[in-house]
Amino acid sequence: MKNMKYKLKKKLMIGTALTTIAATTVVSAEVSDATVSVKAMADALHLVMDSDRSVYTKKIVNRLVKKDKVIKASEHFEDEKALVLPAQMFRFGSELAAKRAEKLDDVNFSYTLQSLWPINKQNAPKTEAEKAGLKYVVDNKGKNYYTTEKLGGVNYFTAVYADTGVAPVCVSCHNKHPDTPKKDFKIGDVMGGVVIRIPVEG
Amino acid sequence: MSFCFSSVISATFPVVIFTVAIVSEALAEKADYVQSGNEALQQGRDLWLENCEGCHGYGVADAPVPMQPDDWRHRVIKEKEVLYSHAIDGFIGEDYSMMPARGGNDELNDEQVKAAVDYMLFLANFYIKREDNQ
Repeated sequence: MKNMKYKLKKKLMIGTALTTIAATTVVSAEVSDATVSVKAMADALHLVMDSDRSVYTKKIVNRLVKKDKVIKASEHFEDEKALVLPAQMFRFGSELAAKRAEKLDDVNFSYTLQSLWPINKQNAPKTEAEKAGLKYVVDNKGKNYYTTEKLGGVNYFTAVYADTGVAPVCVSCHNKHPDTPKKDFKIGDVMGGVVIRIPVEG
Repeated sequence: MSFCFSSVISATFPVVIFTVAIVSEALAEKADYVQSGNEALQQGRDLWLENCEGCHGYGVADAPVPMQPDDWRHRVIKEKEVLYSHAIDGFIGEDYSMMPARGGNDELNDEQVKAAVDYMLFLANFYIKREDNQ
């Protein structure tokens, strides 16, 4: 929503926030008063996530697996001494961020990779917003979904971004997996979505 | 990560459920996919919509979008056989972006892939000419 009225006040400007990892926080009064919309925050977070994943896919997986053919990428990367799949890399990052955020009082957000057709049931949407958002990004290719939801007494801004199958291995693995509920994915299909949830005070 | 969310969120956020929003990074609409009076190109369009549009319509995974002239100016001047070859056999770009062979659809024969490429070239040239005439 381009003209979203809801604003978040934050201590760090977004550019600083996204590039400062585990750094000591020194906040000037000037910066403390800076504002950014919650939508802009979610969009920026997704941009970083998606860019990192894209770089991993291209510079690591495509280069070493597809071009140089020196290693393979596999869901069973430990047993097969292979690279992790890009979606696994993304999920591991999500899990690590959640774990590290538990130790940071002023960090409270989450992101997950979900699907209406998950191989692993724990990656299915749970809230109504997640279900509606995942359906929306499937039905409206190229568009994102934004809403709010109240969970456990806390208001959240929730954004859903399409996750598209871009490599034959993504599609074939999902279609052939014994636990998959959908077997007719093709390249370019929205196979799931990234759900970013940020708490907001009302 | 030094994000500071929860402690600093202002009280301006109303407790209402507002829905939705529609922001498009790449606004592809069916109407953008120009039709042609040429039967072969129309067949190529059908194949392109079914097999290529999912990525090339939106720039997914850096797929060049034919409605964006800057993506295609340096491609339309290449030998057609090069473009056919990339589409049929697959291609790893200089930045390691990947075009899957036959768009990932092994059931497409060479002629069908070429027809889809022809349509994409037609589409790209349409938008390049339109921009040049503005």
